[in-house]
Order: sequence, then structure tokens, then C-alpha cells
Amino acid sequence: MAAELARRGLRDHRRALVGWCLGVAAYVGMIAAIFPSIESSPQLDELIASYPDVLKSLFGLESGASLTSGPGYLDAELFSLMLPLLVLVLAIGSGARAVAGEEDAGRLELVLSYPLRRRDAVLAKGAAVAVEVLVVCAVAGLVLLAFDPLLGLDLSISRVLEALASLVALGLLHGWLALGLGATVPSRALAIGVPAGLAAGAYLVNGLHGLAGWLDPFRFLSSFWLVGSSPLGGGVDLVGVLVVLAAALVVLVAGSLLIERRDLETP
Amino acid sequence: MPGSAAIEAFRLSKTYGREVRALVDLDLRVERGEVFGYLGPNGAGKSTTIRLLLGLIRPTSGRASLHGLDTVAEGVASRRSTGYLPGDLRLADRLTGSEQLDSLARLRGTVDERLREELCERLGVVLDRPIRQLSRGNRQKLGIVQAFMHRPDLVVLDEPTAGLDPLLQAEVRALLRQTAADGRTVFLSSHSLDEVQHVADRVGIIRSGRLVDVDSVESLRERSLRHVTLTFDGPVDVSELAVLDGVRIAAVDGPHVRLSAPETAMDALVKAAARHRVVDLVSQPADLEEIFLELYREPGDGS
Repeated sequence: MAAELARRGLRDHRRALVGWCLGVAAYVGMIAAIFPSIESSPQLDELIASYPDVLKSLFGLESGASLTSGPGYLDAELFSLMLPLLVLVLAIGSGARAVAGEEDAGRLELVLSYPLRRRDAVLAKGAAVAVEVLVVCAVAGLVLLAFDPLLGLDLSISRVLEALASLVALGLLHGWLALGLGATVPSRALAIGVPAGLAAGAYLVNGLHGLAGWLDPFRFLSSFWLVGSSPLGGGVDLVGVLVVLAAALVVLVAGSLLIERRDLETP
Repeated sequence: MPGSAAIEAFRLSKTYGREVRALVDLDLRVERGEVFGYLGPNGAGKSTTIRLLLGLIRPTSGRASLHGLDTVAEGVASRRSTGYLPGDLRLADRLTGSEQLDSLARLRGTVDERLREELCERLGVVLDRPIRQLSRGNRQKLGIVQAFMHRPDLVVLDEPTAGLDPLLQAEVRALLRQTAADGRTVFLSSHSLDEVQHVADRVGIIRSGRLVDVDSVESLRERSLRHVTLTFDGPVDVSELAVLDGVRIAAVDGPHVRLSAPETAMDALVKAAARHRVVDLVSQPADLEEIFLELYREPGDGS
């Protein structure tokens, strides 16, 4: 049944997923381990205060947050850019591979000749993408929580969970967009390019809308703005997270319906 | 549904863009228990037809059904008791043969484990090596097993014996015959009449997207030409061969005579040739494109 496609998707990607987890854990651990030396240099905050606003806002430092506090430091170093970037690369790659990539390789032909509904196939593959995103985000969260007592990061568990929820929401939106696009149009380039471009645009709008007034009206379209970019220090906009999750579901379901009507490409 | 044909197509058409008419108004009925050969040169529309039947592409107009179930409206149900071997089979390269079959079995839900083992043994399938290490023929065997392993009522095979050695081709043909003897149906495409004639009951011939003929294999063979090369021990007068019904002399080169003749003329041809001392006789079936040119020349083809 279609659940086999979720299982296969995860199995085919299990080695890469282990690699991702190790990589993310190492990166998060390394960033966290540097914190004690940052904490002991209060002059850093003065330095940051002298930065141009545009830099501060791109690094998630706008709300007067301090680099020498654990949450402020992790927001700037991890949650404003690097972690979302890593999760998005994983999610978009996985989503684009699941349908567009398989169709490109000619492997959908046999699968879709089996007695299963195409929409179920897409949803099963969507579930596999979600599991990958969840696993990697959970690993990042676990590493942070494990290092918190050792390094005095001063984290609250609920804030960390919220921050992870916002990461998951971003990952699902872009991963399922890649999947849904691949289900709608047989193009791997489109399935990767559109979500990647959208994420880059959303990141820039979120960072710059306060400085460039003409961008301000578009901030509602930015997934990064919706979830908020300093989740540990400034908190997460849970309504925004729900909006992003809803949008993710919409693109997934749309893709699963649109694949029903179209021709499968000849391998 | 009981009573309905294994495959039915009504004015089934597929057009790509505005011009490319891959299939035009196909009307076809394949009965249960039949082995039906679908013949045509490359690009004639064979795979298009098959992909329409499997619901992989949508008809531009017309409709088709498998066992009475519409391939669009009841696509999932119509594929439940159908097995399919794609013409260009792509498997999961990193899985081993048995992992791939396990996965496909779970995807289908209903598989006869014993039948699967039997088939693997019979075809000598390599199960324990990653598929990317397998030869084309060994991949093709996996494709054949997955098409049969749930004991489907209808098997649709796109060029099934491509890449198989002659021994295995014979084994696959035997499998097809047995399937039909069980009252199940086989629909196979090929570009070679020779491949189909030993196994099919009826043959449909498609050319440029149009079904030009459906006929029994025997009558098609009778009408199809052979290329004959006769070598005598010296130059002979070919006029006595040329007068035979249907025989056309292609070239005379000293003692060598090349000609084409329908199967029905072979007896008279050999007897006429035997009046001279014959050194060698080679007879080859004309390939399908030539049969088309000979039998299905369309008006307006310029000849």
C-alpha cells in the first residue's frame, strides 16, 4: 500500500539522514561550545551596538538582544540563519527528490502502474519528508538541551520547543512545496528552484523590511517574518507558525490533487 | 466485471500539443484468455497505448477499460488485477533484487509468495545483489517477476524479451502461454513479428498511431514476405522464378539470386529452384517495416 512509499523514501535516504543528523549535531554543539568565551567578553555587545542596523536586523539582533546571553547568542548564531538554512536544504532536496527526482529517473512509471491512488503516493512521500525534517530538528534541540546545563546557556525548554516548532514549520513549508511542485509539473529544477528562491526572498524581506519601507507591506508573505527570527530571546509567534504550517498543508494537498490529472513523463 | 473483455478501447486517442498524434481513434477488444501481440515499429504508438491502459497518461479523447473498469474513472480498481512490465524498466538501483520485490509486494498488498519464489527460480533471477550491478537481462527478469507475482488476470508487457538471451526468451514465451491457458490474458508489444508469432493468438498492427490491422498470426505470416537468397552452381535463367505468384526478383549476380516471396509461394519457389543445382538457400523473414510497406501502404504515400 502507499505507506510503503513513505518507508522506501526514508530507507533510501537513511544514510544521508544519519549524515545530516551528525552534521547538524556537530555544528550546533560547536556553536554552543563557543558560548562561554563569548559570554566572558561583554565588549562584544558594545561592538554589535555599533553595527549598522541592516546587519543587526539580518542576524536577528534587532530587539536589543544581547549576544552575551545564551538565548541571544543562539538566536544570532543558529536560529536566525544557519539552522533554518540547513533544515531548508534538507527539506527542499528531499521534497524535490521524492516525486520530481523519481519521475526524472523514470522510477514513478512502475510505482504508479500499481493499484494505488496518486494522491496517496504524494501524501506518503510527504510524510517521509516530514519525518526527515522532524528528526533533524529534534537532534538540534536535543543537543542544545544537553549542553544547556554544562555551558550555562540559560534556556527554557518551552522556548526551545517553540523555536524547534518554527524550524519544523519552515522546513515543512518549503519541503512540501518542492514535493507539491514536483507532483504538479515534471521538473526537478522547478521543484528545487522555486522553494529555494522563495526562502531566500522571505529571509531578506524579514531582515530588511524595517529598513526598506517599500518592503514592509510584503512582510506578511515572508515565512521567516511569520515565525519570527529570534525565537529563543524574542519568542515565537505561534499564530505565525500555525499560518506557515497551514500553508505547508495547502501546497502538499494541492500537489497531491494536481498530480491526479496530469500525464506521467515518459522515462 | 464478469463477461467484459480483458481490454476494450473505444476511439482512444492521445495527442501531444497540437500536432503530435501519438494515437488516433484506437478501437480494440482483447478477449480473456488470449495472448495478443501489439506490433509496430518504434515510435508507432505502442507504448502510448499501453501507458493509456495503465492510467499513466490521460486520453485526449475516447476511453478504455480493463475487465470493464474504466482506466480513468476507476483507475485503481482497473489496475488491481493487472501486471505491467514497462518498456524502459527503471528499478531502485540501490536495493537488491529481493528487497525490490519485497517493496513492490508491500506496495501492491496482495502477492502470492510461493508463486514469486517459483518465478524467480524459473527465470534464474539474481536476488542478493544490488540492482545497479545487474545486467540489463537480469533487471528485465525482475521486471517480469513483479508483473506476474500477484497472479494477475491481465499482464501488459512492453517489449518483454528485450535484453534476454534466447533460452530465457523461450522460457518467457512458455510463461505467457501458460498464463493464457489459465484463462488469463496477455497483451504484449513488440517491434518484431518473429518474436510474437510463436506466442500470440492474434496480432494488432499499429503504424503512425493508427491500428491498421488485427489479424491472426497465421494469416499475417502467410501474407508477410521472406527474403530469399539462392545460390546456384552457375548462372540461371531467373524468368522461371519471376513468373511465380508474388515473387519479385531483387538482384541477380552471377549464380546468386536475391528475391522476395510470400510464404504461400515458398513451395513453388523451392520446386522451381530445384530444377537447377542449388548450392545454398537462405530465407529470412522481412522485418516489420517492410511488411508495413508491403501490406499497409497508405493511399497517398506516393506509390
